[in-house]
Amino acid sequence: MSALLAIEDLRVTFNTRYGQVTALDGVSLHVNAGETLGVVGESGCGKSITALATMGLIPMPPGRIAGGSIRLEGEELVGAAPARMRGLRGADIAMIFQEPMTSLNPVFTVGAQIAEAIMLHQKVSPDQAFKDAIALLDRVGIPSPDARARDYPHQLSGGMRQRVMIAMAVSCRPKVLIADEPTTALDVTVQAQIFDLLNEIQRDFGAAIILITHDMGAISEMADRVAVMYAGRVIEEAQADDVLDFPQHPYARGLIDCIPALGREDHALREIPGVVPPLHLLGAGCAFADRCEHTNARCKTEKPLLAAHGHHPAACHAVEEGRI
Amino acid sequence: MSTLLDVRDLTVRFAMPRKGLFGPRPWLEAVRKVSFSLEKGHALGIVGESGSGKTTTAMAAIRLTEAAGGQVLFEGDDLLSLSDEQMRAHRRDVQLIFQDPYSSLNPRARVADIVREPLDLMDIGTPDDRRARVEELFKLVGLRPDQLNLFPHQFSGGQRQRISIARALTTNPKLLVCDEPVSALDVAIQAQILNLLAKLKSELGLSYLFISHDLGVVRHVCDDVAVMYLGQIVEHASRTALFESPQHPYTQALLSAAPSLARRKSKGYVRPLKISGDPPSPINPPPGCAFAERCPRARDICRKTPPVLEDRGPGRVACHVPGPADA
Ligand SMILES: Nc1ncnc2c1ncn2[C@@H]1O[C@H](COP(=O)(O)OP(=O)(O)OP(=O)(O)O)[C@@H](O)[C@H]1O
Ligand SMILES: Nc1ncnc2c1ncn2[C@@H]1O[C@H](COP(=O)(O)OP(=O)(O)OP(=O)(O)O)[C@@H](O)[C@H]1O
Ligand SMILES: [Mg+2]
Ligand SMILES: [Mg+2]
Repeated sequence: MSALLAIEDLRVTFNTRYGQVTALDGVSLHVNAGETLGVVGESGCGKSITALATMGLIPMPPGRIAGGSIRLEGEELVGAAPARMRGLRGADIAMIFQEPMTSLNPVFTVGAQIAEAIMLHQKVSPDQAFKDAIALLDRVGIPSPDARARDYPHQLSGGMRQRVMIAMAVSCRPKVLIADEPTTALDVTVQAQIFDLLNEIQRDFGAAIILITHDMGAISEMADRVAVMYAGRVIEEAQADDVLDFPQHPYARGLIDCIPALGREDHALREIPGVVPPLHLLGAGCAFADRCEHTNARCKTEKPLLAAHGHHPAACHAVEEGRI
Repeated sequence: MSTLLDVRDLTVRFAMPRKGLFGPRPWLEAVRKVSFSLEKGHALGIVGESGSGKTTTAMAAIRLTEAAGGQVLFEGDDLLSLSDEQMRAHRRDVQLIFQDPYSSLNPRARVADIVREPLDLMDIGTPDDRRARVEELFKLVGLRPDQLNLFPHQFSGGQRQRISIARALTTNPKLLVCDEPVSALDVAIQAQILNLLAKLKSELGLSYLFISHDLGVVRHVCDDVAVMYLGQIVEHASRTALFESPQHPYTQALLSAAPSLARRKSKGYVRPLKISGDPPSPINPPPGCAFAERCPRARDICRKTPPVLEDRGPGRVACHVPGPADA
């Protein structure tokens, strides 16, 4: 069975003042209908760029899709006509962003904005669209949706604004919903509400969800499958339990052992020394080599590929050579 | 064991803009009669949602925000009733580190000067002493001597937080207020800073007032935890008691909301305890318990009478119907 959304060997470059840098270096991911894929990794590893590429929203220039493919139900999106991407965006693939305020228009009521999103892709009257918008606000758990539909974004709390974004994103029942750190700006109790809502929506609509996060706890609660990214590459990919219980790549192990997580007994936090190297300083070897305790000569000269050497696919020479 | 800080009935109000020309001036009570104490060498975590008054409580406790009432006994002296002159003598005992290591460091100053600045300002030691102290602190927080003359932008986020910590330690403080010290950092870097803070606490016998919205972080660092809701402490207990047998429904809701590696989608995890809505407005707090309208256990009395923070088992709880989650 081929996946609903399949990204293969995607390469994205940016022109910067350091010259051309490779932000995505052969990323492959897929997600099936009704499934939640968690994408996790440190800041700058390429999570948002992967999402934006899928939405056809990479700023070009300075960005460029230098290779690879993104297929939605078999249809190639890389190089698709802008009009076609506009037709898909919001209808078949929708995205919710970290800070809803940046994607809501401050001068229109939230009801009007959702109604507009509906009319963009469906042939309904403005009245009907507004009624649908209210029903959606109700569906995402906004109290007194009739009244709230007439509010402007700034009149709502952060959690309510994110619900509005979700209402807008699901208004056309997208096949793929990408949530890029949808709760980072919110309190934990509100985050829990949003996560629960995403799960309900998935159950109702059968949407595939790509949840981008840096929080392994969120992955544990939300994801069926996980891709761990580092410096523009997927360095480990498997079912969530496999990655959480048997992380292979030293970076994935580090990410799990360095969290002071609830629900795990006291232990010294493992540190990952150093920082992610900037893209323009990436060399020929493994991008994690400088921070890794298992580095040998090969790690410094040859990029490891994602392959199932250990328990499940990881991109690591030490795993391949059975050194860890 | 001796008490370093004893805060009693601390209250902070902010004046809000008048509605209309002759209307009464509304007040926002950001901190409402908060009491807690902190033992020497201990870390007290303050957790709660945004706007619950964590920062204001800590700032008022070290007199960087003006309190409307209450007492803050620091080794027995009431900081709130000291003259400015007397307060200055205590300044070196109390230091701060903030969430954002980017904006709290002067971008045009070399980091050695930044770290030395508190000594210069308080005129502590000879220039040679000060220089030696800065070098010693650099080593202590895990920075290299060859980095002394660099500027803040030449450091990563985690390194910048090390610089803030070094600066906070220059005067040999007894109390360090840490306001979301790792929230802006990637998890891998968070671990480096949390381990450093743990090491400093045990090696230097420091006490922390440690503010964080991340319960995992608080559990890792703190000996005791106070949970705030709308300007009040609703539960205060030892780490073990608070995390293993929380008594207040809000604490239970927080713990149930915080993502955990122990909860797996694959095992069909569904959050048992859901709370809806947002906290009420602090300008017109409800007459009874502030949590009542979101509380699954609320009764009539909860909406009418504010509960008092009372000793209960190992900790203190402000709730009319306290008890374990499933009761
Ligand atoms: N317009 C741009 N020009 C140049 N480089 C860019 C641009 N946009 C992104 N990048 C680079 O691409 C890389 C990946 O960025 P991306 O935003 O995908 O990271 P991320 O994993 O989403 O990080 P975060 O967790 O901070 O959101 C980063 O190194 C970033 O600096
Ligand atoms: N200078 C001020 N003037 C007016 N109101 C203020 C001021 N500082 C804080 N407040 C209000 O006091 C309340 C408590 O704020 P505080 O910053 O202490 O919360 P917090 O728990 O630290 O929140 P966060 O997690 O967002 O940092 C909030 O309602 C806030 O809006
Ligand atoms: Mg991002
Ligand atoms: Mg604060």
